[in-house]
Amino acid sequence: MKKRFNPIKDKSSEIIEFLMASPDMPQDDALRFKLRLSIEEAVENVVRYAYDGGIGWLEVGTNLDHDSLILTIELRDAGVPFNPLEMDDPDITLSAEDREIGGLGIFLCKKMMDSINYRYEDGNNILTMTKKV
Amino acid sequence: MDVTISNQDNKIFVTLSGRLDTTNADQFQQDIASLMECDKPDIDIDCSDMSYTSSQGLRLFLMLQKSVLSHGGKMVMRNMNPQVKEVFDITGFSNIITII
Repeated sequence: MKKRFNPIKDKSSEIIEFLMASPDMPQDDALRFKLRLSIEEAVENVVRYAYDGGIGWLEVGTNLDHDSLILTIELRDAGVPFNPLEMDDPDITLSAEDREIGGLGIFLCKKMMDSINYRYEDGNNILTMTKKV
Repeated sequence: MDVTISNQDNKIFVTLSGRLDTTNADQFQQDIASLMECDKPDIDIDCSDMSYTSSQGLRLFLMLQKSVLSHGGKMVMRNMNPQVKEVFDITGFSNIITII
């Protein structure tokens, strides 16, 4: 299941709900929570930062391998080349006073999904996340 | 996301219900703005009906906690569902916010 959204400014919610409604998605509430969180963080990252002013497209898709039960979620955009996996993880041992506000989104994706990969190909950022469902 | 804020015996009770996400984080920030101006606030947040939070919610809880500490106050969050609690655990927020 795949769809290209264009433009994407203020469309985060629509894009997230499209993915959550995919027949590839599991029914289990705890799994859906983790998937929704990862999807929201990844989609927000593109909607907020990929394009200047949010004018651009985002193609999202899901695929479920019925043998391995591995769900793959892919996001593709033509925005500024950006590998979110190169961002440093937040230091989660700091006190409230010393913690910086923000920088948690991709960290949560990494923790909630089984794998997360990035590649830049043909002028597109491609983020692929997988989870056994 | 529904937010109710009430005062009783010098304590501030906050009740959260629904999903706290990118669609309503700005509204939530406005809802809690007044809490960030209190001197020595004593804030009790009931999360029984909060079904979800993303990083957008976390950043606001951290802002609030920083504000509470800088104003010499205290804050507790209670009755989180297991999934929401896991988000707080993974991000280390369980160590910087009192969760009961």
